[in-house]
Amino acid sequence: MTRVSENSSSASLQFSINKAKKKMEDLQVKGTTLKKIIKPSDDPMANFQGLQAQSVNKDNTQYLRNIGYALSQLNTTESTLEQLAELLVKAKEIAIQQSSDFYGGNIRKNVSHEIIQIRNQALALANKRLGNRYIFSGYKTLDTPFDKEGNYKGDFGHIQLEIAKDFFIPINVHGQEVFFTDNNIKYPPHPLKEFNEFHPSENPPIPSENKDELKNQTPLPARELASVTDDTSRDPFITKNNIFSQLTTLISALENNNTIATQDLLEKIDESISRIITMRTRLGSLVNTVLHTQLQIDTENVENQDFQSKLMDADVAELFSDITKQQHILQTAYQTGKGLMNKSLLNFLS
Amino acid sequence: MSDLLGIGKTGLFTSKKSMETTGHNISNVNTEGYSRQRANQTTERSIVQSGLVKGTGSRIVSVGRIHDDFIEKRLNKELNSTEFLKERSGKLEQIESIFNEVDTEGLNTLLNKFFNSFKELSGQPENETMKMVVRDNAKIVIRDFQRIQTTLTNTRKSIDQNFKTKIADANSLINNIAHLNKEIVRIEQLGGESGDLRDGRDKSIRELSKIFEIHTYVDNRNNFAVAAKGVGTLVVAGEKTDLVAGPATKDIATNGIDGSFEIFYKDRPGFPITNRFQGGQITSLIKVRNEDIQNISEKINNLAYDFAKIVNSIHSKGYVSRKIETDPSGNALPYDKIGKTTGINFFQEPIRGQDTIEHLSLSEEVLDDPTNICVGLTPNASGDNRVALAISKIQHEKLLNGGTTTIEEEYLHTVSQLGLEAAKSNFDLEQAEGILAQTNNIRERISGVSLDEETANMMRYQHAYAASAKVMKVAEEMFETILSIKR
Repeated sequence: MTRVSENSSSASLQFSINKAKKKMEDLQVKGTTLKKIIKPSDDPMANFQGLQAQSVNKDNTQYLRNIGYALSQLNTTESTLEQLAELLVKAKEIAIQQSSDFYGGNIRKNVSHEIIQIRNQALALANKRLGNRYIFSGYKTLDTPFDKEGNYKGDFGHIQLEIAKDFFIPINVHGQEVFFTDNNIKYPPHPLKEFNEFHPSENPPIPSENKDELKNQTPLPARELASVTDDTSRDPFITKNNIFSQLTTLISALENNNTIATQDLLEKIDESISRIITMRTRLGSLVNTVLHTQLQIDTENVENQDFQSKLMDADVAELFSDITKQQHILQTAYQTGKGLMNKSLLNFLS
Repeated sequence: MSDLLGIGKTGLFTSKKSMETTGHNISNVNTEGYSRQRANQTTERSIVQSGLVKGTGSRIVSVGRIHDDFIEKRLNKELNSTEFLKERSGKLEQIESIFNEVDTEGLNTLLNKFFNSFKELSGQPENETMKMVVRDNAKIVIRDFQRIQTTLTNTRKSIDQNFKTKIADANSLINNIAHLNKEIVRIEQLGGESGDLRDGRDKSIRELSKIFEIHTYVDNRNNFAVAAKGVGTLVVAGEKTDLVAGPATKDIATNGIDGSFEIFYKDRPGFPITNRFQGGQITSLIKVRNEDIQNISEKINNLAYDFAKIVNSIHSKGYVSRKIETDPSGNALPYDKIGKTTGINFFQEPIRGQDTIEHLSLSEEVLDDPTNICVGLTPNASGDNRVALAISKIQHEKLLNGGTTTIEEEYLHTVSQLGLEAAKSNFDLEQAEGILAQTNNIRERISGVSLDEETANMMRYQHAYAASAKVMKVAEEMFETILSIKR
């Protein structure tokens, strides 16, 4: 028979009470924070994933802000192009009117003033600003893109923004492609292409096609439209459409009462109009893409929150049933302790 | 008839002695490390008288303690491993709390904030105020790197202090054991009872087992000896060897850090024996200090180095946002009268090694003027945001360890590894504590005092005492009867 001594029974009682109390303490901390994971060792893997999910959430908040910037820029650009198209349509109507011999030279001279106004308005649109940045000057957003003669002073930069992880969209069109010619429009390369740091294992850097492949994983309408414009086979010098020079030519043709030159211009102005409309369509689809991405991010955020909560948050029902269970265990330990410790042979002798 | 009185007398004596032992047991019921004692009783030598063998009563041969050497050794071993884990769990929990960011902002959140501020900057590259925000976020990241490093260093230093107290404890225990060795031999030579002293020595040995693993033996000259495993004999009979813990120079320190505390034999300074100890608190502390802290510190420093290096390599490609003059062929001048226009580092060039974080700071240019934060890849292009974009992408690009892990993954891996270590040691500790409690229980079952048992014994001895007295009384009455015949 196992011998039971005073210390062995008190020690085992202490051990079991201690154990129950320790569990109680853990549950209590979980109950007050309502978190399953208080420190990394509680569940190293969930901690890892949870923190990653937390980062993704924060990133998404930032992407939503970027989407805000992209939308305001794209919308302003689009409405500006709309106004520009209207101006050109007006100029075209006038040119059509004046290309017949119906009107006389004097009238043409007067009408030319109207075109001068249109040209000035077009110039004003070309120098349109959003906040303090010019929308048509490429990267040189703080420099006026067009001078009085209609010469382009900006550069050919396509500003890109990351609106979802690894998804970059251009948020501007530069003055050259809007007002001059569409021949050198290229879809901007992946913005990280310039940095060798991102291809540590491969030098020289990954060619942009590979990066494009990566982008194509998110099938979005803008991609196709954008790649349509990536057509460099045409010689840039053949169609040199310059809206300002077209208008200037129209003005001088009207002033000089030259109907042939006016007629010649009609086709060119038409080309400009259709180009701008195409560009608007492109911008419109970009806006759609951005809005779509916004929705995606919102959904992703909800899913992500859910995932994070599953990883890190304590299940309240389970927690409290655990607490109740543990309370019972502790109580039982006290009860049995009372029975064990207070009784001794001495109580029955006398 | 006189032998009858004598027999009664021996009965009285043995009962009284047994009662004394019982009393001693009862009064020591709560004495730590006490082993219950028992008076061993035997019959007194019998005599032959006129052809009859006659008993002459009883006597106490010895008072022995109830003790199991094997359980004692096992207990020491369990204590040793439990203490190792307890110390380890405690220290790892301390280190772990540095990286706790479930409900507070830790390095991961701050790094994320830093990169997101670059994303924000890419949305409004002309905004000079945003650059201040970027700079402030960078400062916070640096400060958090430094918080981690400082806390690690402080934990390391506190472990050094722990060494000192543990070794002082060990010395006083060694001293105590040597002293008790001498006492036990002296008392036993006089034929005295050494049970209590042996209990005392066992207790000291148990305490010493908590600090490092030891084994005890009796050598061929019957001397009791204590040796630390892996190190050597510390006590033989009354002779002892003292240990000291003190700062060591870089070339002999076991973790290669100058001024780190190491353990030496008192009479042989300059030869650290720190790494030779096995098990117990000392080994646990050494492991945490030389492996865990060292490992994490190295990883965090490397992370800081890579982080600063990559940000710099991208940032230095950019141009500042102010108007930059160009040479006749149209190339931007790398310098103007204000200073550099390109090639500016964001952080000061980091130093590789364990001092990376200590020296981590923003570059002077960025510190002087946040407009020196470069956003664009082309000069004189205020809307060019490519540098900001690229820097913001660093967080999630696989740039570390030869392009296999991202900064975030690397950091979280380090934290997870620490978490796993801590979780493992917590789990092991719980188990070890269970085993220890069990072993302790076994020891207490064998050697512990049971009041019920003692009470029963008390009654037994009391009855025996009363009966022996009765025997004497009867003997006396018999004398009376005999004497009354004469009257």
